[in-house]
Amino acid sequence: MSKNLTQSLPGKALNLTITTNISFEQFNLSVNEELTLAGITGIFGESGSGKSTLLRIIAGLEKRADGQLNFNGKELQNSKKRHFTKPEHRNIGLIFQDSRLFPHLSVLENLTYAVKRKHQPVLSMEKILQLTQLTELQHQNVTRLSGGEKQRVSLARALLAEPELLLLDEPFSALDKKTKAQMLQIVKTIQQQLDMPMLYVSHSISELQFIAKQLIVMSDGSIGYIAPTHQAIHQLNSHEDIAVKTSLSLTITEHLPKFGLSQLAFSAKSSDNHIYLPLLQQDQQQSTIGQLLPCIIYARDISISTTKPEHSSIVNQLPGTITEIKQGITSALVKVQCAQQEFYAQISLWSATRMALTLNSQVYIQFKANAVHSFHSTESENHA
Amino acid sequence: MLTHTADILALTTTLKMAAVTTFILLIIGTPLAWWLANMKSRFKVLFEAIVALPLVLPPTVLGFYLLLAFSPQSLPGQLWQTTTGNQLAFSFSAIVIGSVLYSLPFVVQPLQKAFEQLGDHYLEAAAMLGAGPADRFFSIVVPLTKASFITATALGFAHTVGEFGVVLMIGGNIPGETRVLSIALFDHVEAFNYSNAHLLSAGLLISSLLLLSFVYLLGGKYGRKNSNKSPKTLAKVKNKHVNS
Repeated sequence: MSKNLTQSLPGKALNLTITTNISFEQFNLSVNEELTLAGITGIFGESGSGKSTLLRIIAGLEKRADGQLNFNGKELQNSKKRHFTKPEHRNIGLIFQDSRLFPHLSVLENLTYAVKRKHQPVLSMEKILQLTQLTELQHQNVTRLSGGEKQRVSLARALLAEPELLLLDEPFSALDKKTKAQMLQIVKTIQQQLDMPMLYVSHSISELQFIAKQLIVMSDGSIGYIAPTHQAIHQLNSHEDIAVKTSLSLTITEHLPKFGLSQLAFSAKSSDNHIYLPLLQQDQQQSTIGQLLPCIIYARDISISTTKPEHSSIVNQLPGTITEIKQGITSALVKVQCAQQEFYAQISLWSATRMALTLNSQVYIQFKANAVHSFHSTESENHA
Repeated sequence: MLTHTADILALTTTLKMAAVTTFILLIIGTPLAWWLANMKSRFKVLFEAIVALPLVLPPTVLGFYLLLAFSPQSLPGQLWQTTTGNQLAFSFSAIVIGSVLYSLPFVVQPLQKAFEQLGDHYLEAAAMLGAGPADRFFSIVVPLTKASFITATALGFAHTVGEFGVVLMIGGNIPGETRVLSIALFDHVEAFNYSNAHLLSAGLLISSLLLLSFVYLLGGKYGRKNSNKSPKTLAKVKNKHVNS
C-alpha cells in the first residue's frame, strides 16, 4: 500500500534554531533551542505558557521579539544585526484558531488568494480540495460555513501557499469531538502525503498524542523538555494536576465485530499479549489491519492482581514486573513493565498494603476494553 | 438670463472644486487615516485633534490664516508664485487647498474608524500567504472597508460643495475661478434677488439631502452585512498576551 510506504519513509527534516526573548505586561517568554522538525511536532502547555507566542515569533508576527531565528539555513531574524525577515517572505504557513478566512471572497477565491501569490505552484488545486474534502464546497460563501468546514478551508489555503513549515495554533480547539477527530485524521494524512513538517500547538494531550511524533512541553514562557510523544506524556505524569496515564502505540491485528472489539498488539509480529478495545469504526482508513494506533490508558483504570485472573470479565490482562512504586496520600502509583511496554497503575494505598506489593514482583495488570482511549474510536469515549 | 449663465458657471466651478478636492482628499486622507489607525504613540490624540479641528473652528479662522499664507509676501505664497508663475491667493488652486484642509476630517474619520475596526487579523492571515503590505491593502483592506470609502467620498464631496467661509476669505468672488454656489447665493441675497436665491438654496438643499440619504443607505446596508464579519469578535477567546 502506498500509504504505508510513505509512512515508512524517513521524511523531510528541517532545522530551526531559536533564541528569543519577549516581554509583555505580565508575561515573559524566553526560549533558546535547536529543533529538528520532521513530521508533526506538538507543542503542549497550559494556556498562558507561551506556545502561541512562540508560533507567532517563528511566523514573524511578533516584531517586538528580541533574538535570533535560523530556519533551514536561512537567518530569519537577528536583532543584533537589526535583521528581520517579514512574515510574507518566510515561506512559513500559519493556521489560526479563528480561521481568518477573507469574508469578501468565496471558498475557492480564498484558496486562489494563496496560489496567486506563489511563484511556481506545484500542488494542484484539485488534489488539495480532495485532501481537505472541499470539492463540494468550493463555490460557497465562507461566512456560511460551519466551524469544521472553515478550518478545512483554512488548512487548504495554508497548504496551497506551499510553505516549508506549517504552524497550527490550536486549530481545532473550538470544534466538537467528532469533527475534531476527522480534522486530526485529515491533517495526519496530508502530512504523510505532502511530507510537510508541522508544528502543532494544543493544550489537549489526547489530541497531540494522536497527531504528533514528538512533543515540546512548555510552561511559564519557556520550553521544559522535548521528547518523543509517549515519553513526553509519561514525563508529564509527575505533574500534580495532570491525570496519570500510559501512552502507547499499538498495531491493529484483528477486528472482531461479533464481540464488538478490535484486537491490538504491541508489535505486528508478537502473537501474544493482545489488547482489546471497543470495535473501531471500519470505514476509517486508519482502522486497517497493520496500522499503528496511538492509545491512552488512564492509571486509574488499571488494576493489579498478584495471580492470573482466570475468572474475570475484564478482557485485558497482561503479565508484568513492578519497576516502581510511588506512594501518594491516598493512592499508590505502580509502574509495571509488560514486555517492552511500561504501564502506570493507580491503586488505593489500602490495596497496596494488603497485597504487599514490592519491586520486581510478578503481577498481572487488568483493564476493561473501554479503558483504552484512542482519538478515533467509538463515540462513548471520554478524552482528557 | 445673465444671472442664470452666471449661476451655471458657479455650479460647474463648485462641482469641479468638490471633485478635485475629494480626489486629493482620498489620496492624502487614506494614508493619513491608516497611519492614525495604527498609531500606538500617546501623541495620537493630538494628531486626531488636529485632523478634527475644522469641525469646530469657524471657517473664517482657517480662511484668515490661509489668506496670510497664500499672499505673495509670505513664504508659501512666494514659492507657489515662483514655481507656477501665478498668484496663489484668489485662485482656483487656493480654494482647493482650503477645501482639502476644511473637509479633511470628513474623509479621514470614517476611514480611520473602519481601519481600526478591521484590526490586523485578516492582514496577518494574508501576510502568512505571502502578501506584502501594498498587496494586503488593496486585496483585503479596501474591499472590506468599501462602505467607509464610499461614505468618506460622499461626505468629503458634500461638505466641500457646501463650503462658504474659507472660499470667501481666500478665493474672493471671481466668476469661473473662485465664484462657487454658496457665494453666488450670498450675492443674490445681497442684491435682494430672492427668486434666484430660492432656486440655488432649494437646489443645494435637495442635492445634499439626496447625497446624505445615499450615504446612510449604504452605511446601513454594509454596516449590517459587515457586523457579522467583524474580526474582533472572532478572536476574543484567545491570545490574551499576544494581542495585548
